[in-house]
Amino acid sequence: MSLPLRIAIPKGNLFDESAARLRAAGVDVPADPGRKLTVTASDGTQVLFLRPTDVPSYVEFGAADCGIVGADVLWETERHVCEIADLGFGACRLVVAARRSDRYHEGAQLPTFLRVATKFEKTTEAFFAERDLPVQVIKLHGSVELGPLVGLADLIVDLVATGNTLREHDLVVVNEIAASTARFVVNPVRFRAKYGAITALFERLTAPVAV
Amino acid sequence: MRLPPGTRDWLPAELRRKRAVETVLRSVFERWAYSEVQTPTYERFDALEAGLGENLSLKTFLFSDKSGTQIALRPEMTTPVARLVSTRMREAPLPLRLSYVGSAYRYEDPQEGRMREFTTAGLELIGPESLDADAESLFTAIEAMDALGLNDTLFDINHAAIVDGVLAALELDQLGIAHAKELISGRNIVSLRERLRGTGSPQAIEEIVRLVLTRGGEDVLSTARRLCHTDAGLAGIERLRSVLTRANELGFGDRIKVDVSLLRDIEYYTGFIFEGFANEVGFALCGGGRYDRLLPLFGFEAGAVGWSLSVERILIALERRHSTRFGMAPAIDVLVSGSDVIAARERAAGKIVRIDFDHLEEAQLLDEARRHKIPRIVIASDGVVREIEVTP
Repeated sequence: MSLPLRIAIPKGNLFDESAARLRAAGVDVPADPGRKLTVTASDGTQVLFLRPTDVPSYVEFGAADCGIVGADVLWETERHVCEIADLGFGACRLVVAARRSDRYHEGAQLPTFLRVATKFEKTTEAFFAERDLPVQVIKLHGSVELGPLVGLADLIVDLVATGNTLREHDLVVVNEIAASTARFVVNPVRFRAKYGAITALFERLTAPVAV
Repeated sequence: MRLPPGTRDWLPAELRRKRAVETVLRSVFERWAYSEVQTPTYERFDALEAGLGENLSLKTFLFSDKSGTQIALRPEMTTPVARLVSTRMREAPLPLRLSYVGSAYRYEDPQEGRMREFTTAGLELIGPESLDADAESLFTAIEAMDALGLNDTLFDINHAAIVDGVLAALELDQLGIAHAKELISGRNIVSLRERLRGTGSPQAIEEIVRLVLTRGGEDVLSTARRLCHTDAGLAGIERLRSVLTRANELGFGDRIKVDVSLLRDIEYYTGFIFEGFANEVGFALCGGGRYDRLLPLFGFEAGAVGWSLSVERILIALERRHSTRFGMAPAIDVLVSGSDVIAARERAAGKIVRIDFDHLEEAQLLDEARRHKIPRIVIASDGVVREIEVTP
């Protein structure tokens, strides 16, 4: 019954805290995996180090039993995984931001067919569609805040943790779309098939942040 | 030349494995005295629409015939069988035990285990609303998985009324209940906590969330009983307890757990629900339950319970565990050269015969026989018939 688990964790922002939480839960994860793609602990538990946006796919298809991933990635990838627990760390907000001079943050009416630069194409489309506001979404892969400064876009939709980046570029928040934190996600079938091991890991992962 | 997305070809070895799986399933269905039926691959959409419900209707391939009638490729078999039972078989004595193996079509994003054209097999037990019928549907599924060699398939069971009975403790309107059930079904615990916040005491909500996260046996049933506030829910719990007892007697007890979050299609199932899954694959292998509201939609007042599987998913599971159980090509018995008459005589004797068109020399025939592992050669040449035993 106690088959070893395969756990997917994201490289990047959430890596350090994810690794620390897993270590506290008794899963041996190196602080710096270097170029390694996976490590296997003595008890057979395997940890995969993935691009954050790949974590949901690995879990949905059962290539990993469970994983840690930001809620923002889950919104965007729309993968069918069970979101079992909010791990509380990696807090950030997905916001619509604009140039201060456009005064949208002070309630100026947003015109139709604004160009919106973002890495979060689907979430952005859904947000504006819900408001019946037609926009043109421009998918970027980084440095989204540059968009409004050089006339590529009128608005951006991006993640904000401290707000420093926005301030540096004289951008202001117009709307908050949602708040994101790290989530513990599980493949729906593996939740059942490896119930004992997954429940034990989940209890240990969530223990420090008693709800 | 490209195939449309979500379709595939079956090469000889692949199709042999698929047919073998279908044969095993048919033999299990027959042993339980189920009779196979077949309905048209396509039929009038208006005949099926009510039974399919919104989700499946959206995934149904639709087109028009020359008269403009809207035609649907069947997306599953239960609704066509319900249509058949409520029309041509409504005078038949109940219970009716019907099975099917056939192709179905859904407009899906194709991925492993989810094709647009797939083969569905399953059975429907029509008439009784009893525990016996629920138990039979589960046990047929377990025996089918065992017969396929997937004899460590685990099963989760539930009763649709339990979650309603548990949520009745909270202040939720109809929409709220529907939303909560959707979150429970997807085990989306983070959003569930958010949705339930303020609808009851934090302790009551925590207990419900805990229940949704737990799979087990008697312990889960006792917790559910304590948290359940409706007679229908309590009756559901008792029914699960009886199913578990009977499963234990058959030696299936270790493979069955209660999971109150198992809701499958929320709108469809009215009572007992189950699903079978194995560790190798990230999707369910088979599943079903009681759907007492479907036949009345066709004007036929009868309960029904049934289950189905996708043959393609079974093949993936077998492949994952490197099962060589199915799909061995039948061995060729004899290689015949130079005489249609001799070949016909061998076939009449029940042998599998390969014919040499090329008037090969004896040495070449021996090579050919060894290559195809054929133990015997018969050569007719100039009125002389020679038999050769092939040594490997």
